[in-house]
Amino acid sequence: MAEETKPTKIIDARGSYCPGPLMELIKNYKQAKTGDVISLYSSDSGTKTDAPAWIKKSGNELIGVYDRDGYFEIVLKKTRQ
Amino acid sequence: MTNPKRALILGDGAAGTILSNKLRLLTNKEELEIVVIGNSRQHYFKPDGIQIPFSLKPYRKSVKNPAFLFNSGINYIRDEVIRIDIAQRFVTVKSGKSYDYDYLIIATGNRFTPEDVPGYEGEAKHFYDLQPTLALKEDLARFNGGDIVVGQSSIPIQCPPAPYEFTFLLDQYLRERGIRDKTNIHYIYPLNRVFTMSTVAKFIDELFEEKGIMTHTLFNVDNIDSKNKRVNSIEGESVNYDMLILVPPHRGQKVITESGLADELGYVDVDRHRLTYAGNDDVFVIGDATNLPVSKAGAAAHFQSGYLSHHIASDIGGAAYEEQYNGECACTTVTGKDNAITLFFSYDRPPRSNFHSKSDFLLKWTSADTYFSGMVRGIM
Ligand SMILES: Cc1cc2nc3c(=O)[nH]c(=O)nc-3n(C[C@H](O)[C@H](O)[C@H](O)COP(=O)(O)OP(=O)(O)OC[C@H]3O[C@@H](n4cnc5c(N)ncnc54)[C@H](O)[C@@H]3O)c2cc1C
Repeated sequence: MAEETKPTKIIDARGSYCPGPLMELIKNYKQAKTGDVISLYSSDSGTKTDAPAWIKKSGNELIGVYDRDGYFEIVLKKTRQ
Repeated sequence: MTNPKRALILGDGAAGTILSNKLRLLTNKEELEIVVIGNSRQHYFKPDGIQIPFSLKPYRKSVKNPAFLFNSGINYIRDEVIRIDIAQRFVTVKSGKSYDYDYLIIATGNRFTPEDVPGYEGEAKHFYDLQPTLALKEDLARFNGGDIVVGQSSIPIQCPPAPYEFTFLLDQYLRERGIRDKTNIHYIYPLNRVFTMSTVAKFIDELFEEKGIMTHTLFNVDNIDSKNKRVNSIEGESVNYDMLILVPPHRGQKVITESGLADELGYVDVDRHRLTYAGNDDVFVIGDATNLPVSKAGAAAHFQSGYLSHHIASDIGGAAYEEQYNGECACTTVTGKDNAITLFFSYDRPPRSNFHSKSDFLLKWTSADTYFSGMVRGIM
């Protein structure tokens, strides 16, 4: 990613276990508008595979999965109507 | 002599009943008065909900009068809690009375919110409460083949394994009725596997494949199109059904939200190891009412009651109780005809599931008797 896309919404789900972070992402996704960028913070390693799998399945864009200091950041762009 | 302290327990389900009985066994009336407030008309052993629809058990064995389940020396009040005021340290009930406390224990469980899924009401069936379970039994008896979709509308739900347990028994039931070859069983699940815990998911997935049960993972229910008999997911998938068996969404009780104690879904955020609420040493929450990262299960409520009753009894006796609750839970779940697995797990120990057995199955089949005769009474 050349330029960091500024998220419309940040979900801080650190400290919550699977499937908490993914469920948070889905809930926020439902409320988001097409074009919104959602960033999910999670300290649960399962989210690193679960969230990208969900983003792909739901037909949206996975902007990136980043290793941060003690947590992961997963960024989604809502591309579906 | 000083007056006894008061433990005020809100909720007369699995958690509230087990805890109050355990506490009564560990303390005497001179030191602790135990008051339970609950509004249930019957104490229904919900795990039997997977057997009743298939006529594997008469429902009468699964219900008891809640008042008869309390050990002597417990003051059981049948009423509805309408306000919990932690700042002022009292609880108000519908009939107008208020109760103060030395220890407050919230054990109000959760409720169903079918209204969260458009199209659910009047269309989807479920086995999560006695009346719907009995209705489902009739519907299944009339079913003669087609597509059955089984799943849950959201996470969290009580007893996360129940949907797959039900699916195994459904498969068996349809085989026994000779209509399995005329029926497609579709199992839908919100995550990218068939169960939350990946170690168990792998095992269940293999069994599903063996039995020809079709799985649709990453399927988060968005709405039900009853006209076209289709359940649609947020991910953009649809599955057609002739019969839809969908666990309704759950939320915490309204009184929790209205008293300002709830997270977005109506659950109480509690200390993972001490079960206390927001730094209050005298306010505890157990069972399905919490947002703890453990299964919403009677078994979890049972372990939490064991921890909490010892903690309170020690506190009254003036001795420090050093133990912490570590998320322990043990659940026996059905995996097909005459087979079950028992899953042991805690916060940092995922369950193992390398085999299932007939003896585990017997454990599951007799669980209502074990529950009503021993567990609920606090002696196990
Ligand atoms: C189909 C099914 C299968 C299951 N299988 C298993 C299993 O195999 N193993 C297992 O461990 N668990 C299982 N469970 C889960 C288990 O039944 C629950 O986790 C357990 O009942 C939780 O106990 P609780 O006391 O927290 O909540 P509940 O048992 O729901 O009790 C809550 C109580 O609070 C009362 N209440 C609520 N609000 C108020 C209020 N405002 N005022 C007064 N009273 C109030 C209610 O009337 C109720 O009596 C299953 C559940 C279902 C539905």
